Amino acid sequence: MSADDWFRTDRLPHIYCTGCGNGTIINCTLEAVDAMGWNKNDTVFISGIGCSSRAPGYIVTDSLHTTHGRALAFATGVKLANPRLHIVVFTGDGDLAAIGGNHFIHACRRNVDMTVVCMNNMIYGMTGGQGSPCTPVGALSTTTPYGMGEPVFDLAELAVTAGANYVARWTSYHVTELTRAIQTGLETPGFSFIEAMVQCPTAYGRRNKLRQVSDMITYLKTHALLMQKKKRMEEEGEPIPPEMFAVGEFTRRSRPALGVPK
Amino acid sequence: MKLVIDERRCKGCNICTMVCPYRIFREGDRLNDRGVVVPRLDRPERCTNCRLQGLYGRRLCGVCQMICPDQAIRWEEEKPYEPHRVVIEF
Repeated sequence: MSADDWFRTDRLPHIYCTGCGNGTIINCTLEAVDAMGWNKNDTVFISGIGCSSRAPGYIVTDSLHTTHGRALAFATGVKLANPRLHIVVFTGDGDLAAIGGNHFIHACRRNVDMTVVCMNNMIYGMTGGQGSPCTPVGALSTTTPYGMGEPVFDLAELAVTAGANYVARWTSYHVTELTRAIQTGLETPGFSFIEAMVQCPTAYGRRNKLRQVSDMITYLKTHALLMQKKKRMEEEGEPIPPEMFAVGEFTRRSRPALGVPK
Repeated sequence: MKLVIDERRCKGCNICTMVCPYRIFREGDRLNDRGVVVPRLDRPERCTNCRLQGLYGRRLCGVCQMICPDQAIRWEEEKPYEPHRVVIEF
């Protein structure tokens, strides 16, 4: 079996724009799920609303496409109703951080056994490019025409603080590392959160002089700061550029988890 | 093994041209019948996976397939397989 067997090939090509990174994240997730050797009947993909949340529609397993921001609430219900099921949640930054923010921190606190893959494209892509909590400072969007004035919501740090068992962040350019991180997340009992920074050339790049897909990928490449390097810079007292985001493994621990089958 | 781009799925984003270590994928220059400029392949027999997958029995490299957002890149079995003389340069 390979990752290809998990796709609904009759539904492809998917509706994502040219150069959208969400397809890459689906590839990586299915590769990791396939490596786990799970049965298609025991795996459930759950999503909310948004570009990222259309992903389960292209996967052959059972899936739930739920209301905006409530993917984690539904996923908690599915897991507690039948703890034998393997739960993977696809969600976006607007879905998880803005509207479903409270569900997110409480799912982390309860440490429900599931894996959450957040495709953070730094904007509300589907609804027309409104600013999200993850829009970088100074970036233009339809609701921030003079540049975003609010600081960025660091979702990975939030998940660490709220109590998730495994937290990592990679970009859609780092496919191998991302696949490995997702697989570690799937193996970890308890709440695993993987934040994947993805490019959005249509809604984000077009307004921020990154219209070409290659420019957007280069942006992700140059703004990703490895965790080890960040720690070294902190030890040496070097200033960390505010526009950069850390990538790597944030935490791996074993707090008591909810919904793990005995 | 043979490297194939599925023209029905490719949307012409050219991400594959950025990641291949051998630069096998080059930007295309002609529209196909769907109005997409599909990348062209420059000597695809140089691909690591094409040459060595049978020997190792697993997928090698494979970054282009993983990063392709439209699931358009795959490898097909060639029959009959004829060995190519390959010059590798980086």
